Amino acid sequence: MLRRKLFLRTTLLLSVALPLAVSAAHSAYAAGDVVVALDNNVIGLDPADLNDNLSMTATRTMLQGLYGFDKDMKLIPVLAESTDASPDALSYVVHLRKGVVFHDGAPFNALAVKTSFERAMNPENHLKRAALYDPIKTIEVVNDNTVEITLKYPFGAFINNLAHQAYAISSPKAIAEYGKDLGRHPSGTGPYKFVSWATDTLKVGKNEHYWKPGLPGVDSITIRSTPENGARLAMLQAGEAQYIYPMPPELVKVIERDPKVDVVAAHSIYARFVALNVMRKPFNDVRVRQALNYAVDKNAFLKVVFGGYGVVLDAPLPANLSGYSKQPTGYPYDPAKAKALLAEAGYPNGFEAPLWGGNSTISQRGMQFLQQQFAAVGVKVSVEPLEAGVAAAKVWNVKAPEDATTLMYYTGWSASTGDADWGLRPLFYSKAFPPNLFNVAYYANPVTDAAIEAGLTTADPVKRTEDYKTAQAQIWKDVPWVFLVSDDNLSAKSKQLSGIYVLPDGQMLMEEAALK
Amino acid sequence: MLTYLARRLAGTIPVLLAVSIFVFGFVHALPGDPARLEAGPEASPADIEAIRHDMGLDGPIWTQYLRWAGNTAQFKLGRSSKTRQPVAEVIGERFFPTLWLTIVSMIWATVLGVGIGVLSGVGRGRWQDKTGMVFAISGVSFPGFWLGLLLIDLFSVRLGWLPTGGYGSWQNFVMPSFTLGLSVAAVMARFTRSAFVEIMAEDYVRTARMKGVPERLVAWKHTLRNALIPVITLTGLQFGFLLGGAVVIETVFSWPGLGRLLIDSVSFRDYPVIQAEIMLFSVEFVLINLAVDVLYAVANPEIRLK
Repeated sequence: MLRRKLFLRTTLLLSVALPLAVSAAHSAYAAGDVVVALDNNVIGLDPADLNDNLSMTATRTMLQGLYGFDKDMKLIPVLAESTDASPDALSYVVHLRKGVVFHDGAPFNALAVKTSFERAMNPENHLKRAALYDPIKTIEVVNDNTVEITLKYPFGAFINNLAHQAYAISSPKAIAEYGKDLGRHPSGTGPYKFVSWATDTLKVGKNEHYWKPGLPGVDSITIRSTPENGARLAMLQAGEAQYIYPMPPELVKVIERDPKVDVVAAHSIYARFVALNVMRKPFNDVRVRQALNYAVDKNAFLKVVFGGYGVVLDAPLPANLSGYSKQPTGYPYDPAKAKALLAEAGYPNGFEAPLWGGNSTISQRGMQFLQQQFAAVGVKVSVEPLEAGVAAAKVWNVKAPEDATTLMYYTGWSASTGDADWGLRPLFYSKAFPPNLFNVAYYANPVTDAAIEAGLTTADPVKRTEDYKTAQAQIWKDVPWVFLVSDDNLSAKSKQLSGIYVLPDGQMLMEEAALK
Repeated sequence: MLTYLARRLAGTIPVLLAVSIFVFGFVHALPGDPARLEAGPEASPADIEAIRHDMGLDGPIWTQYLRWAGNTAQFKLGRSSKTRQPVAEVIGERFFPTLWLTIVSMIWATVLGVGIGVLSGVGRGRWQDKTGMVFAISGVSFPGFWLGLLLIDLFSVRLGWLPTGGYGSWQNFVMPSFTLGLSVAAVMARFTRSAFVEIMAEDYVRTARMKGVPERLVAWKHTLRNALIPVITLTGLQFGFLLGGAVVIETVFSWPGLGRLLIDSVSFRDYPVIQAEIMLFSVEFVLINLAVDVLYAVANPEIRLK
């Protein structure tokens, strides 16, 4: 009997004590190794075959383009020194940086640019970003350090395309050697070299021959996938990670007073909005669309959904996107005016409509807030979160505008080229209805169309700004959206770390990473 | 015995065939176009068509099935439409973390669960029974994600003893396997206890006691062995379930397992991966069932394998 009791006690004791008895031998990262915890997995490392920010971020550590962005998303030359554009925006002569080598030892030169671009644009390779290369007709090697790119049609924003990560240049040697598997053997000219990538962890190491003197300042960067918000934060608190992104706004309070970490709020080029199908009743009436804009307290929306981090949209483009033009009058919160406009439009008692959107927690929170705001002016919307695949089928894969069942769609857009064209054309151009692009409001206005087209056919920045100003004024007047907010990219970092930045488009720069 | 095994294994073929038709039909009936999802919002319709052709999704559905079933039978699983990695590799690199986590969790959970169950059964109504059942009820009632986050907060953030998550060294196993195994141990304890109590009331147990067999032998030899049959069934079932991955544990502890892979693949409509994963789960279940049947015979020689 005694022995049995003893056994029981030992068992119970063990079950409690087991986790306690474990020694503390983790967080053995050497100085100079930075761990960045992100919310998802890297999908691939071939920038011409990616469309998610996280994988693009990963490729940015290793692969560079002719142009790129600085931390404020200003266009800067990277592997190019300068470019001469013809006035008709059809020909671009790019002068290349000299003395740069790829990680695998191949020299960077005009032929490397040609090889990399031609691989990406070749339709037989079926790469996801081939569409971004669509304007290119030919790439000619002028001499070792000069390429001439000729376009099929005038494209004023072409240099912005060159800055897109999809235009990052891969080593011609790696292209020849790995073919279809290039995405698992990246070789570029960037500050870090590929080390390993397996199950949720990507590691890149210092490029000793990097062409920018003195960089990079750390030995390696490890990107770890940590999907759970609380666990990601715990990694930072436990010192296992030095940078985490995204930082969930609702958890800011938890670490605000932690002396070892900083919360970083960086402006984004995200625009959050509700697209209203202007071809359908009741949204075909501009007064209804105005009413819905007056019905939402956008500052409260920002506070409730994004913890107050961000700004209210005051133009169709977010303030950090090039070509943004602030509109003189906004749509301030005014439920009385909203009700009056609805009555004027023939809906004194409001109406009912489904509100679609994504199914993430934060997206549902946004929709619920809107539901409550609309209800206050008599508009009863039902919140219908759509799973990604369902959204693709119901929203994007619509064959013709008449078949569209989208009425109100809560979503967001970030122009991946950092240029006004990609912030307007996919969303407001009459040739951008699904399935071609993302004009889910089915908005069409000849003035807007003409301005968007004019902005494309010149490379003159002053003229382009003028065109986009016209387009934005017209769109603001036509209100195809409920314009909401541009939320910040929230991240958090160890105080010892500097030099890692989240760009306005949600991708990250790690070139200047340094540890104190 | 060997002929029995061979016959049982042959018998699984029609089962797997039926499962394959069901899986294929189910996956293809999901709303959403994988080509569209892969291409992303900025792609042109021509790009999407090209990708669809690439994925082999452009013929009639039955030719698509035959092609897939034929390839699968030869273990040609194709490439993931999301990462373009071979499917065998995608699943392979997550199968072992799931398998090891399952084995570690099952071992301690079974030992502890059966132990507590026996002690509770023997001391029915006494303090050890009450303590054991408090453990069992708490074990099943703790939500995994909550317990997981509490553990992380205590052992990683405050004490710094264990890594918050990831996969690699043995330290990485401690918290996930504890969280995962706790509810299993609790269920085991309850199950063992009730089986035990039932057997204790049997005539042969009374006979053994009357013969003067020591109480300890009555419990561990006469009773436990017979009480094991339902416990083996439960162990097999739990094992099969855990091999399917544990989404919550994998998410909280950033564990590279099969559960999250399945969820990710479904939301991406990564047909090759979803299909291969579900087929793998079916094969696992079939094999576990077989193992359970064999173990019955080991535990109770009265059961003959025919």
